[in-house]
Amino acid sequence: MILLALDTATPASALAVRLHDGSVLAARDDPRPGERPGHSAHLLPLAADLLARASLRFADVQRIAVGVGPGTFTGLRIGLATARGLAQSIPAEIVPVSSLQALAAGALAAPLAGEDDGPPGPGVLAVLDARRAEVFAAAHAPAASATPAAVAPPVELAAPRVLAPRELPGLLAELRSAPAAPARWIAVGDGAVRYRSHLESLPAVEVPPEHSPLHLLDARQVAALALHAEPLPLESVLPHYLRRADAELALSPRPAEAP
Amino acid sequence: MSILALETSCDDTCAAVLAPDGSIAANVISSQHVHDRFGGVVPEIASRHHLELVNLVVARALAEAHIALEDVQLLAATQGPGLVGALLVGLSTAKSIACARELPFVPVDHLQGHVAANFLATPQTPAPFAPPFVCLIASGGHTLLAHVSDHHSYETLGATLDDAAGEAFDKGARMLGLGFPGGPALERLARDGDPDAFSFPGSDADRSRGGRGAARQRFERTLNFSFAGLKTALLYAIRDLGPHARDRAADLAASYQAAIVDRLLQRCAQALHATGLHRLAIGGGVACNGELRRRLAELGVDLHLPPPALCTDNAAMIASAARFAPAIPFPHYLHLDAYASGERPPDHSHALTHPSSLASPAPAIAP
Ligand SMILES: [Zn+2]
Repeated sequence: MILLALDTATPASALAVRLHDGSVLAARDDPRPGERPGHSAHLLPLAADLLARASLRFADVQRIAVGVGPGTFTGLRIGLATARGLAQSIPAEIVPVSSLQALAAGALAAPLAGEDDGPPGPGVLAVLDARRAEVFAAAHAPAASATPAAVAPPVELAAPRVLAPRELPGLLAELRSAPAAPARWIAVGDGAVRYRSHLESLPAVEVPPEHSPLHLLDARQVAALALHAEPLPLESVLPHYLRRADAELALSPRPAEAP
Repeated sequence: MSILALETSCDDTCAAVLAPDGSIAANVISSQHVHDRFGGVVPEIASRHHLELVNLVVARALAEAHIALEDVQLLAATQGPGLVGALLVGLSTAKSIACARELPFVPVDHLQGHVAANFLATPQTPAPFAPPFVCLIASGGHTLLAHVSDHHSYETLGATLDDAAGEAFDKGARMLGLGFPGGPALERLARDGDPDAFSFPGSDADRSRGGRGAARQRFERTLNFSFAGLKTALLYAIRDLGPHARDRAADLAASYQAAIVDRLLQRCAQALHATGLHRLAIGGGVACNGELRRRLAELGVDLHLPPPALCTDNAAMIASAARFAPAIPFPHYLHLDAYASGERPPDHSHALTHPSSLASPAPAIAP
């Protein structure tokens, strides 16, 4: 199966193509500091470039995997409109993937996350900067150790939510009190970098250095997570906003929809 | 050549199909009524609804045109101006539909779209209007006079310096307690009123009294519009009437509407005089206003009034503009971005000059 994966939940345009033989090509655009995200300008050119490198055309794509957030609203809509437009036109299957789960999968796939016969890998707190002094966060643990080398999705311990950075220690404490909870934690994503001080003060929580690739959402993980998932009707593939529009909040100040 | 076009610059999710002969095969408009309770279009909410609706609206347009995507030979979408978040949904969708099939693509300027609505044949207007002509575009977002001398461009003769004409209607309607969107409600209320009951600045009644400063006189010599003073005048009139304003609502609405129409008419006449043309066309939501249509007919020029469904935002007009514009072949349009306001950025008008859009604009990570 030829699978095209893309994610625009973060300022990056992240893409990957999985070929028939299981090999994966990836490409990305990361805006420089202070630069605006260039999803509309970069997403499709990078996709065309990736496909061309594999001597493929858009028409050859059989499945589209798309990160549905949470993340920046406009970025998510560009990614989802692109994925849905491609799926409708080719036509191809479409599979939504949680962007926070893809971020966590990247951290768990890294060599430092745990050796094959070492202790079980750490739990991952995926934290994206949600602006307005809030973060999007979710917690995952590695898949059961019996799983063979094939990618098994990380197990969700805490569903994606929007919260204030000072609430992160509370979330971790809650996670740790659960039975069989991971003993060590790694926190990744631009939110973990920005609010490092709220996390590093806690015992057995590591935030990798600022420029570590672990903080970047890699579309190869989106592709891997979508490989064994069920496709959905394209109308039901929508962003995971987690926050209502400001105007709605102003009209009826209630907490955002439950994640 | 069958053209599929999308338009999502504001709060209507639109898709249309033009048949190879240029006739409208489908013109689907899904209006979002969710904004009424906010008293205006909320960009974030509009963008969310566009994404929910856009593929369904495309599917419906194809079904109504009795064609499949395989039959489409050209894609088009509004690139700007408008709400960027909203535009990006339609633009991203259309670019993707096009590139999946390696079809050419035309990014359309929304205002050029309103002009191009006049190039469409309809049961009400079987003969398409052809350049040269002057086109008045008046909506909630835009008010301008365009000199149209060919099918794919226009020159701006004048534009509003403050509120758009449609905004003036909506704000006046709100002052009269008519809710949002208020233009059509204000027009209905005005039917029972006397347009000469109140004198608002710029109206004929006001002009006959004379009296205006040098700045006003300078402004009068341009082809620009201004509606902000009018809005203030209505506010004062309502305040002065106090508890009686309610009884005079129809007169206020009729006089206010007459003042807006006066200004539009006056500028149209001046633009026709300045260009030496005797041909006038219209577009935009305000072009649905019955009083404006009636009074324009009194100008005694060759007048083209598209049916209301082609004056308000729609994708048939975008397809019509695309029909007369140079198409960008695959893959040279993949990088196109939306723009919020003003003129189209120079990069976007001639993407063909890019030697290869496949040269990725950013470093790529090796597999
Ligand atoms: Zn418009």
